[in-house]
Amino acid sequence: MKGCNMRCKWCHNPETWLAKSQMQYIEEKCIHCQTCLISCSKQAIEVVDGRISIDYSRCSACGTCAENCPTKALSMVGETISTNELLGRIEKDIPYFRTSEGGITLSGGEPLQQKEFVKEFMKLCREKEIHIAIETNLSASWETIEELLPLVNLWMCDLKLYDTDKHQHWTGIGNESILQNIRKMGERKIPMIVRTPVIPRVNDTEEEIEKICRFLAPFADSISYELLGFHTLGFQKYESLGMPNELKEEEGLSKERLNALKQILIKYHFIS
Amino acid sequence: MNQLLEDKIKALRSKKIEQTKEKIRVEGILDEDDYGRVVPPANSWNIIPNHEDGSFYGFDAWTENFCNLMEVHPVYVDTNDAFAGRWMYFMSKMKKNKWNPAYPYDDLKPNIEKYNIICGIGEDAHFAPDFQIGLTLGWDGLIQKIERYKQINNTPEQLHFYDLHIRGIQAVQGWIQRHIDKMEEMHASEEDEATRQHLKEMIETNLWVKNHPPRTLREACQWIIWYHLASRTYNRDGAGGQIDALLQPYYEKDMAEGRITDEIAVYYLACFLINDPIYWQLGGPDKDGNDQTSRISFLILEAADKINTSLNLTVRVYDGLNKDLLRKSVEYLIKNKNGWPRFSGDKALVSGFMKNGYSAELARQRIAVGCNWMSLPGLEYTLNDLVKVNIAKVFEVAYQEMLQQETYSTSLLWEIFNKHLAIAVQTAGDGIRHHLKYQKYNEPELILNLLSHGPIEKGCDVSDGGATYYNLSIDGAGLAIAADSFAALEQRIEKEKKLSWETVIDAVASNYTCEGGEIVRHVLKNSEHYGTEGSIGEKWAMQIRDLFVDLVKGQSAGNYLFIPGFFSWANTIEFGEKVQATPNGRKAGEPIAHGANPVPGFATDGASLALASSIAKIQPGYGNTAPMQWELDPTFAKENHIEIIEAIIKTHVELGGTLINVNIMDKETVLAAHKNPAAYPELVVRVTGFTAYFSMLSPKFRQLVVDRLLEN
Repeated sequence: MKGCNMRCKWCHNPETWLAKSQMQYIEEKCIHCQTCLISCSKQAIEVVDGRISIDYSRCSACGTCAENCPTKALSMVGETISTNELLGRIEKDIPYFRTSEGGITLSGGEPLQQKEFVKEFMKLCREKEIHIAIETNLSASWETIEELLPLVNLWMCDLKLYDTDKHQHWTGIGNESILQNIRKMGERKIPMIVRTPVIPRVNDTEEEIEKICRFLAPFADSISYELLGFHTLGFQKYESLGMPNELKEEEGLSKERLNALKQILIKYHFIS
Repeated sequence: MNQLLEDKIKALRSKKIEQTKEKIRVEGILDEDDYGRVVPPANSWNIIPNHEDGSFYGFDAWTENFCNLMEVHPVYVDTNDAFAGRWMYFMSKMKKNKWNPAYPYDDLKPNIEKYNIICGIGEDAHFAPDFQIGLTLGWDGLIQKIERYKQINNTPEQLHFYDLHIRGIQAVQGWIQRHIDKMEEMHASEEDEATRQHLKEMIETNLWVKNHPPRTLREACQWIIWYHLASRTYNRDGAGGQIDALLQPYYEKDMAEGRITDEIAVYYLACFLINDPIYWQLGGPDKDGNDQTSRISFLILEAADKINTSLNLTVRVYDGLNKDLLRKSVEYLIKNKNGWPRFSGDKALVSGFMKNGYSAELARQRIAVGCNWMSLPGLEYTLNDLVKVNIAKVFEVAYQEMLQQETYSTSLLWEIFNKHLAIAVQTAGDGIRHHLKYQKYNEPELILNLLSHGPIEKGCDVSDGGATYYNLSIDGAGLAIAADSFAALEQRIEKEKKLSWETVIDAVASNYTCEGGEIVRHVLKNSEHYGTEGSIGEKWAMQIRDLFVDLVKGQSAGNYLFIPGFFSWANTIEFGEKVQATPNGRKAGEPIAHGANPVPGFATDGASLALASSIAKIQPGYGNTAPMQWELDPTFAKENHIEIIEAIIKTHVELGGTLINVNIMDKETVLAAHKNPAAYPELVVRVTGFTAYFSMLSPKFRQLVVDRLLEN
């Protein structure tokens, strides 16, 4: 779901930051036919050194160029959809959910930013007996979460950093409500998977991971904890959306480093 | 497994790789199955023609050639192998012509050419023998059976028919005897005691099976091998059977009597499987609906894992299938990434076949024993996978005819397409009828007759009324090209009015090279494809499917029942070469889409589920298949996704899927092998229903595999 209240500098889904549609350009698909130049009424597209260049400050994301692009090099990211329409799209996969004991995962962006939609959609899924998981940063009011508790089968939450100031620096917001909500979920024994994306020079130290482990340890009977290695697979998206990428020189986290940090999780019995 | 047996299997595997290299070196490329054949010594045997065109036709000539070859066919004994024998000569391919010129079909040729039909006239095998007949009777028992029926069916023609079959059997027995002689020679000069003992056992096994029905697992495997090698030599027959059910009694008896251990059974089975990549089915219901999975089903998978070469095992998926067998199968698929096993879908196959008027008991016996096809072992004659209509070509003919009209529309095009598809299917049907009328004068089924219920009993060839059932197959190929072409025209011209008929016609006529042609091509190419739920492409695909099914079914008359399927086998390239540019953005000569698969690149997200759902939906529905060719990304095909992959297989079957061929290719390896095939003699790809060594494929075919990989 599009729209996020965080701006994690390592985010590999930058197309989900804004809660509105965006125009995306994938150069590899472009045949330089310049159909887009003609179709853009804002003169946001021009040819520079034989390549298509988009002035995103002018682009209103009206979608005309994408509609006319013969190769889909230009495409719109994001659309407005009703809960019933969305259900219609996933219903065809219900037979697969049945055989795999799977279901849907609401993700983002931050799904809790669209609480009403999420609630209504979850109710529709419940009626169809679809298993519901949600991936959230939990930076929402407890009331919001409490309302969804009866609807969600599995909670998944990212806890990127334990230290509030660092969290503020790297994600754009503090983590007070996140820690508070995790604690409450733990106290109520609500099953949840907490994950930390391990980012070089952000939180890839034993100290950082240990802090989180210590925080989660009292709730280990209902909360499981995993580490996710940082990768650069989403970097191309920044370019295609005309968005700056502060970590563009960064490389993925090595397996060795990730395995070393996993030892801490073993120590705290989160993994064996 | 003990080291000695492990080493023997390893040695057999290495030898197999060397044999593959040798085949490429001596015979060059082959866009087909591996068949387990080895290269014969140079100039060692050649056909004996009985016709001025240099070929041979009819019962006498086929028997003469076969028996003559059996007399001199080199023996093959490897002391690492539990079994003797390999086949070497493609007798049917050594003939100049496939069809006896005394029975011309010139009247059909113009339409065969026009619609690019593979007509099947003069084609052979492609139905399943019932190995149980042979395992019960043995070679001598088969002769005795023939002698019995000689008393009943005793016209001169029938008596001659029987005599030829007895000659055929005796020729095979002679071949076996020459192997025994060779083994005795080897035994006499062998100094190593273990090898001597091994040879002694091989001799005893073969001395028995040369005449008698097998008593043990080893004898049963060796008997099947001899029959199969003879049948391969005769006309490349490659159909197997329900291998676990066939071997189960021998395995259980051996175990009960302490003759073997599981280790030894796996060794035998590994030797059995490496002999020839025959199409065997594992698991699935017996005629009463009970699962046929047993301990030996698992041992067969274990043995396959040990040799892990080109294999064509199919697991029959249904609600009652042993869950562990399915899980084990998926594990091996992921572990080895070698395209085995495949998975057939019982639910749709059985309910579909029953729609032809057959019972559930019979339908359950129709098992996966061929590339895309099912067969009732010993009971039917089918021409499975041999008759194909290039639907993309039919579309082209219709499209060209529409251009001669004053106005253009997809409804007019559809009307014309109907007419031409009807002619094409009629031509295919006429070809089959012509084949059935004269095949006995061309290429009778001397070897397959022996393990069929009917030919011996009635005294006539299986193609000539000998079979119990005639369920004749016509497959459609290139469905997605036609469906997407209709869809592109409807969407871009008629609905959106983004393009005009004139623009599209000019662009297609110029193979998209005219000014602006490339833009038009992309606009057409990116229209709503078959493969996406609810798309315009899907609507057209279903419409074409329904028409094709009706037309094929409409060919049925008397004892001849026609069954539709969708399959292109390895003909995607040659079919594509015959078709000019099409309005779905495909350029002239590019391959057609694979079987019932959508055009590659049909979905940008969730492609596996979309593929599984689309192909489940497009099934022709009468018991023949529209296989799902599933190119699985190796980054996904990992151990932690086994449950998901299994779920997709089960759901596809639940939704109506009939057969799944999975290919898991590592991009880097395939690209490197494409550059230097010789460096990758072990790389196996599931080309379609069959697996092949990548290095043996033609450059064009390798390119197709690479393109398919890149586009997915």
